[in-house]
Amino acid sequence: MGAEPGHDPVLLIQQIARGDREAFERFYNRYASLVYTLALRVVHVRSDAQDLLQEVLLQVWRQAGSYSRDRGSPEAWLLTIARSRAIDRLRSVRRRDRDLLPTGHSSAPEGGGKVEGRMAQSDARLTLHGALARMPEAQRTVLEMAYFDGFTQSEIAARLGEPLGTVKTRIRAGLQRLRELVGAKAPEGLS
Amino acid sequence: MNHNEWLERAEIYALGALDVEEAIQFEAHLASGCDLCEHHLRETREALTLVPRSLMPETPPPAVKGRLLAQIGDEAASVRPARPRPRWLWWGMSAGAFAAAGLLITLSVSLVSTRQELQRLEGQVASLQVELARREAPLALYTAVINLLRDPSTRDVPLRGVGPGAGAAGRFLWNESGEGHLFVANLPPAPEGNAYVVWTAAPGMPPRSAGVIQTDASGKGGLHVYPGRSDHGVEVFTVTLEPSGDVSAPTGPTVLASK
Ligand SMILES: [Zn+2]
Repeated sequence: MGAEPGHDPVLLIQQIARGDREAFERFYNRYASLVYTLALRVVHVRSDAQDLLQEVLLQVWRQAGSYSRDRGSPEAWLLTIARSRAIDRLRSVRRRDRDLLPTGHSSAPEGGGKVEGRMAQSDARLTLHGALARMPEAQRTVLEMAYFDGFTQSEIAARLGEPLGTVKTRIRAGLQRLRELVGAKAPEGLS
Repeated sequence: MNHNEWLERAEIYALGALDVEEAIQFEAHLASGCDLCEHHLRETREALTLVPRSLMPETPPPAVKGRLLAQIGDEAASVRPARPRPRWLWWGMSAGAFAAAGLLITLSVSLVSTRQELQRLEGQVASLQVELARREAPLALYTAVINLLRDPSTRDVPLRGVGPGAGAAGRFLWNESGEGHLFVANLPPAPEGNAYVVWTAAPGMPPRSAGVIQTDASGKGGLHVYPGRSDHGVEVFTVTLEPSGDVSAPTGPTVLASK
């Protein structure tokens, strides 16, 4: 994942901010697959994931000037935008699906009915050596439900039938594991 | 509150899994300038890049790249300067519930308020939460409102209080798709057994009910109108006080009106 000369992503974003289309194309080549993979895992429909990829990269083109390296890596910036947009799309689909249910079923939990059907179509797989695959299943499940399926911690607790405290503990243990993998330390006093 | 609890929230906020009330409180804490939480949030976001990196990569079809390059070619080569944002929103959360919450605050109260003053607005946030908590899916509502705001064809129609509603004020975000959101302020709760009914009308057409709006003790309320009523050319927005929410045409006094 080392940056090739002339392909430092921070530099690319600065060039994009000045309207450099060639830099934008290099940025696309570097990150399109990652954004698309994330979007597809969230929305499960290829055409929707392609639209999202287009929207997210367009946002990069328009907002590159607002990026600042001392606030984080280009990849974290990009993925935060992409995940946020994908979850927005997912929630609006869930709302639409729910609104289509006959009245009387409107108290079904968000994500019920047809949405589960959409999820069942997921063909996303984990890479064998990725961080998630190496995580205990209980931690992985809660992280995936939050990150990819857009559920809040209370929604996860309700769906799993576990106490909220248990869900929080699992989320934090999973995040701690990820932080260790990227070599970040927890702040003083926070275990 | 013990500061470690803020740090714990920072992590779950980074993951996007805080429930809305806690998320709004955490935003306000960040806005107060807590460097420790901001740093922890940033590190957690870096760590979270491993999550999508754990998926088997998929390759997008080349047509997407073609469409994008054509699209940016159509735009001016010089990029518009980004609007300055308060730093806690720097991540450009496109339509995250939290940015939406900020906009809701600004709009609903229709009082002076910039996002920089967010921390002072916690009390007002609380009253919004009351309205939102009554809803089945507050996050879905935030998203619906932000989508309305994002759509350049959405109009922002001021409503002024008249008759029994003198002193009240409202704003109606209205989209031609028939979706809208009404915010009201300073409208006293409807008398026992009565209801405030919201009406939309196209010129020359009879008004149609868009639903009932309830206000809290401080006179604030909101009503989201979902599309699907095939309303076209709506120009007139009113709220009337009715003996029930179930009337098919206005019969009682008008309390809020556009124009
Ligand atoms: Zn803090």
